[in-house]
Amino acid sequence: MLAPAVVVYTVMTIVPVIVAVYLSLTDWNGFSTATFIGLENYARLFDDPDTTRAGLVTLVVAFFGAVGMLGLGLVYALQLKERRWSNSFFRTLAYYPHVISALILGFLWSAILGTNGAINNTLRDLGIGPVGFLFDENLAVITLVGVIVWAGFGFNVVLFVAGLQTVPRELIEAAQIDGASQRQINRRIVIPMISPVVTVAMVLNLVGLIKVYDIVVSLTDGGPAGSTETIAYLILSRSFAGTDVGFATAQAVGLMVVSAALSVVVTALRNRQDRAAAS
Amino acid sequence: MNRWRLLAAAATALVLSATTACGGAGGTGGEPGKTTLRMIVNITPNLTEQFWTGLFDLYEAKNPGVTVQLELTGTIEAEAKLRQDLAAGDPPDIAQHVVPTPETAELFVDLSGEAWAAKTPLYEEYAIGGKHYVVGVGEQIQSLVFYNKKAFAEAGVDATKIRTIAQFEEAMGKLKKAGYVPLQTAGQWVTGAQFTMLADAGVLTADPEWTVKRKKGQTTFAGSGYMRYYQLYESWLDKGFIDKSSLGLQYPDGQAAFLKGDSAMYIMGSYFVPAADDAGKSDDIGVFPVPSDGAYPPGQFGNMAQPYTVVGQSENREAAIDLVEWLVTDEEAIKIQLAADGNLRKGFAYDVSSLGDGVQAILDEAPFVIVKQGERQPVQGYAEELNTRIQSLFTGSSAGDVATKLDQWWDSQG
Repeated sequence: MLAPAVVVYTVMTIVPVIVAVYLSLTDWNGFSTATFIGLENYARLFDDPDTTRAGLVTLVVAFFGAVGMLGLGLVYALQLKERRWSNSFFRTLAYYPHVISALILGFLWSAILGTNGAINNTLRDLGIGPVGFLFDENLAVITLVGVIVWAGFGFNVVLFVAGLQTVPRELIEAAQIDGASQRQINRRIVIPMISPVVTVAMVLNLVGLIKVYDIVVSLTDGGPAGSTETIAYLILSRSFAGTDVGFATAQAVGLMVVSAALSVVVTALRNRQDRAAAS
Repeated sequence: MNRWRLLAAAATALVLSATTACGGAGGTGGEPGKTTLRMIVNITPNLTEQFWTGLFDLYEAKNPGVTVQLELTGTIEAEAKLRQDLAAGDPPDIAQHVVPTPETAELFVDLSGEAWAAKTPLYEEYAIGGKHYVVGVGEQIQSLVFYNKKAFAEAGVDATKIRTIAQFEEAMGKLKKAGYVPLQTAGQWVTGAQFTMLADAGVLTADPEWTVKRKKGQTTFAGSGYMRYYQLYESWLDKGFIDKSSLGLQYPDGQAAFLKGDSAMYIMGSYFVPAADDAGKSDDIGVFPVPSDGAYPPGQFGNMAQPYTVVGQSENREAAIDLVEWLVTDEEAIKIQLAADGNLRKGFAYDVSSLGDGVQAILDEAPFVIVKQGERQPVQGYAEELNTRIQSLFTGSSAGDVATKLDQWWDSQG
């Protein structure tokens, strides 16, 4: 019964990965015959300053983006866990950016935060100079993370609310009878009980953000001075767009390995914590 | 055994469906005598999807058996889109805005045998190893300074007197005092492109073989005329001649800021003219060639406008060549395309604004058009790297850093 699924998975996932790994060991330019060059492309990964910089930006975006999405999502979900019409409205509001294309969100925020955008024009009217949301190297990274968190935390809210609704009501009532405060209940009972959901959200967020591309293109286009170029952006806009497909594939394989390693590490850490809590 | 049969059947179905998918939507359509030509087109503020559809409606009306299907590039460059299509086994028939290089020439049909092709603009300049893979509608020139006439009048600057870099700097000083941002720029690709439009006119007019020499290691960015331009750009940022916050503008926003009159000068290609015409500002804007410390006027950095290539893997090669021939030789098609993007071609006049006349006059007086193609083509990725480096001047790098990093990058490209 598993055979069709195995075939589909093999053809659609395993074969492309094997082909990608092979291409990463060649000097393929995207159209002519590929020549095997061993690990040369992987050595270049560590020598190439653009890849190093983009790798760091990717890690910063993934880490702070995931922390922001998880933190904001959890706070929001704890406030909206009760079944009330107003909560449904606010949950929808939080989830709303997630259903819009990231490209459109990037353009939208670029129009709001750009030098001549709505916010800077208002600041100018107040006699305050433009804020470098998109033209200051450091602030542009913070802006990127902020927009990503805004766009993505609603997804976590949905996951967390679903998780919160599985927490037995009796446990919370018992804690309340024992005199526990809401903060203590959340910290000691609710959050530990939804930790598997948090783990899933964390892995999904990290893996998603490691590959972030579309919002970068539309919000900053990798600028200023390459300060917001992520690895995925570099692969698609620079390496793949040129004739360096072998190297681009090595970058992609590297990204896949980091992604997988992060997922494994996060899951292992959570499992260990869960086991420690249970014993 | 049954399991293996099932597996084989599933695999066969997958291979068949994949093969069908790879066949793509192109090729001769289901109806006999009908041909669908798939064409990658670059969408810009001037060359909109509506423009392309209207243009191809004309062709389809004259050629009832042919349908032209647009392949939009989305967020990537036309060349990357072509590569994606080829890698997916789904080649288009024609690519617009893709210029072959010695490395990619084999992907395209050699049009050397087509008599009509030899009469198209910059035909020889784009040859690779004596073969001609690309033809264009006209020429674009790019070493142009558009200026706000009102700002110049208020600052007491006479545009006709600006010929040298020193005169250009003096003008920027006066314009700043008059309350204008002297030189408009923007983020995205604009920063590096404007630098190229300015610096190439100086450096490559003095030495048209500079790029060939750089490839051979006979010169460097740090040790050549480019260094002066990095220093100039850095000093202009320090003096406030270029607003550092402009880096937070996208290309259309930078253009809009200049058209609105916030800034006094805008270095841009001839394709800025239609934007000024559409905004009804052409009569308020003048144009002069970029300043130079050498010969004046300098050569104009330029290129083939609307280049077309026929993809070698096209299953409709003859029909694709016919369409490209129509695009670059049919009088009506040429005029529509030239007018849409403010491009130029000898013998083809179209209704043009005073600003367009100004650009034509500059082309007429230019000693030559600097075309960075063939042997004179920089290494792949140079434009993007230069853009990043020029933007780094806004964020604290020095001119020396820019030159050193560009040299290191160029040398690392093997």
